[in-house]
Amino acid sequence: MTAPDTMVDAEVAGRAGLELVARRTLVVPQIDMLFPLQPGDRPLVKEGEAVGRAQPIVEQIREPRTIVVNGVGTPEEPGAPGERWTAPGRRPREVEGATEGELLFRSSGRWRIASGERAETLEAPSAGVVHVVRPGSGITIRSVANAIPGRLALAGPTWGRLQVATGADGELRAQHVDVGAAGSIIVAGARMDAEALTRARAVGIRGVIVAALGIKEQRDFLASERRGRAAVHGLPPFGILVLDGAARRPIASPLMALFEAIEGGMVAIVGNPPALVVDDPSITLPAPSPELVRVRSGPLAGAEGTWAGLAGPRRFPAGVTLEAAFVRFGGRPPVAIPIGDLERFA
Amino acid sequence: MTVPRALLAIDAGAATTSVALLGRPGARWRLLGALSAPAGADVDALGWILVARLGVADPRLAADLEVDADGAHRLPRLEARSRPPETLAVLGASRRAVGLLEAVAARTPWRIRTASPESHDPREMTDLALRPEISAVLVGAGDPPGPDERGWLDDLAGLVGAATRRRPDLRIVLAGPVAARNAWAEGAGRPYDGSHERIVEAPPLGVRGGPDEPLREILEGLLPPGPDPRQTAVRALLSLADTLDRRLELIDIGLDGGLRAMASPGIADHGPAVVSVRTAQAGLVPTEIDDAAVDAVLAWTTGSLDRHRMGDRLIDLRGQPWADTSGEGARLRLAATRAALARLAERTTDIGAMPSPDVTIVSGGAFAVAPPRAVALAVADTIRRPGATQLVIDHARLLGPIGTIDDPDERRTLVADLADDLLAPIGSLLVVGGVPGGVPGTRRGAPHAVGRLILDGDQHGRYELTSGEVAFVDLAPGDQALATLEFKDAVRVGHRARRVTVQVSGGVAGLAVDLRDVPLRLPERRDRRRAALAAWGELAWPGDER
Repeated sequence: MTAPDTMVDAEVAGRAGLELVARRTLVVPQIDMLFPLQPGDRPLVKEGEAVGRAQPIVEQIREPRTIVVNGVGTPEEPGAPGERWTAPGRRPREVEGATEGELLFRSSGRWRIASGERAETLEAPSAGVVHVVRPGSGITIRSVANAIPGRLALAGPTWGRLQVATGADGELRAQHVDVGAAGSIIVAGARMDAEALTRARAVGIRGVIVAALGIKEQRDFLASERRGRAAVHGLPPFGILVLDGAARRPIASPLMALFEAIEGGMVAIVGNPPALVVDDPSITLPAPSPELVRVRSGPLAGAEGTWAGLAGPRRFPAGVTLEAAFVRFGGRPPVAIPIGDLERFA
Repeated sequence: MTVPRALLAIDAGAATTSVALLGRPGARWRLLGALSAPAGADVDALGWILVARLGVADPRLAADLEVDADGAHRLPRLEARSRPPETLAVLGASRRAVGLLEAVAARTPWRIRTASPESHDPREMTDLALRPEISAVLVGAGDPPGPDERGWLDDLAGLVGAATRRRPDLRIVLAGPVAARNAWAEGAGRPYDGSHERIVEAPPLGVRGGPDEPLREILEGLLPPGPDPRQTAVRALLSLADTLDRRLELIDIGLDGGLRAMASPGIADHGPAVVSVRTAQAGLVPTEIDDAAVDAVLAWTTGSLDRHRMGDRLIDLRGQPWADTSGEGARLRLAATRAALARLAERTTDIGAMPSPDVTIVSGGAFAVAPPRAVALAVADTIRRPGATQLVIDHARLLGPIGTIDDPDERRTLVADLADDLLAPIGSLLVVGGVPGGVPGTRRGAPHAVGRLILDGDQHGRYELTSGEVAFVDLAPGDQALATLEFKDAVRVGHRARRVTVQVSGGVAGLAVDLRDVPLRLPERRDRRRAALAAWGELAWPGDER
């Protein structure tokens, strides 16, 4: 870096620069939760209806298939795509054993109908008002509860009391998954392996929050989920909320402070958008210092410090020149970090 | 109207936001500074920093342009802004029909989901059409329908007709006589009379191909309006080709898609012309990271990452594309860039078959922070076209914002002023095809001397050329030289000859002479492939700066 660059950035850094750092939203005051529907699923709520936690909202069909039926409706009312259909019931063999379903489309006078063998109920994970109902597409519930956005949610939705099971940098192993946490959503630290996830589900834990979950663990979990769903008795609700990504890193301290403030309260994991919904509006959520920055990637990934101004363009390993910023970690002298590797909280 | 003396050019991409400060201190526009930050960064803050830096570095120039940091937010702007890609459901009555439609749709910025009755049941196809993320449906058939389509065409017409009834917001492209079927009326509730604005008709499928150009035009027309940087960059490229009187190729790789365009200057009464393809499939990292996506990147890496760890890295790269751009992260990014370039080349064989351009411009976040030689090598690895081209980079990401100027004359004037500033020279790339034998790691014999390179009648020196190698020869930015290649046997450099002379230009990476196979054939064995990639990589990456 040349001397004039240093001089320029010393002057400029005093006034600006923090705005260049990617901002991560910790809490959103309202959330529209989308619950996807497949053709054949039956919505149990109407638009504008208030729903409470654990209230059935959808009857989902299992082992869905398409059946072909003659003579649906009457010439005056021939039926329309999306309408429900119920078998006359007298001759179930004629409709391949199905008793009800959803009209898909009519071709050559015969209806294609989405149906299935059995149904299971999906319950609302959090209270709200039904905003949109689109059969075959999805139900949106609007909640005014606070929500903590995550990067990804697997399975779910689910709800339970929040319990912090380990520290921000901890890694919960299978042997440490405690049956005492049954019914809870646990904060499981930096990362969790597939074995620990399987045990968590087996002991009745309702959900897991982790900073990172590798692609192997994601695939293993989803495969296990599919097998469980296909089983006769299905599975109780369970969800995983991933806060950051796939590579191991600790949970950011502002998020950990939120979880500690919420601990013991009812929360829900929803998948679309991926978030933790905090039901109790009376909980005061702590706000981080505006000067706090966190290193998201690179050799110092997970470290947190305070903003010390722009450092200007700097040369970094692999011969790349990047816009950088000074960050002060504890009482040590400031270190130049690429701006792209930093995040701040709001 | 007062012509501004300074303005901000903003390229707000999916991963990064880039702001450039342009000023007109005399009779022409100049690039005064540029700055990038993660997407979502405050553009006003970026403008403030740029103007503040100018004020400290050259107060007289800032005063002359009448700009000050606190007034940066009031500067006029040229702004191009990326939109999140939209998703298109491609439906056909047979796998063949879907394949033909997909081949065309893949050459557009749409993300694609495909289904046919041969691969999905009607419930799954309806599910696809009704998903909230699907913004449009492309459904096609031959006219007359092929034997493989006839059995399912009525069901398909009924299904799409019903989808139009259930989703009034869904746009439909009919490539063939689908709506003419009775089943369409049964599904939609009334016969198709052409009165629906959201239903667009396109030419029908052929036996072996889709209606490429007209269908692409229709599909691109369905995208939301607005200055998308890749769309506007093509307009700026056209102006640049006309201004420089050179054939230009633009290769852009971004997070959500890629662009390849070839522009030629106007000749006689004919204006400048451009052929371009924008495709979502050439994004840096696919949205769904499956084994194929992981393998495509692993094929270009020399490290010891297994599939799972590479998958983890790609998930993080997709989630935070602006982060981890130094050290091993930079190498991973270039490996992902190569995979994206390979997908782009696969979708743009028509442009790849054209003669080598005079200048190749690389652009986009994928190249923004990589060392110049690594960029040159990535292009040489994937865009395998024998010939010589000058390689430059749109380092301040100006092409997109400049292309937002609607008036071609005004755009041309600005491009003419900025031509020297907006393109930073990387060097020259000389790809030689048909060099006999000797590829490292294969059974085709050991590398051996095949000829020599002479720059400017020995003023710069002579270089022995070895089969299967990539050689970087220092040639400083601004330097020009006449490169003469002499081979023992005939090779291809645009045409077939044993002695070839081409004009080359210098750059930060110098002159890269590539004597590898065209197309590039890497060793099958993983260890040998990695050894070959590592040997070439040593030339491109600074020695111990991992």
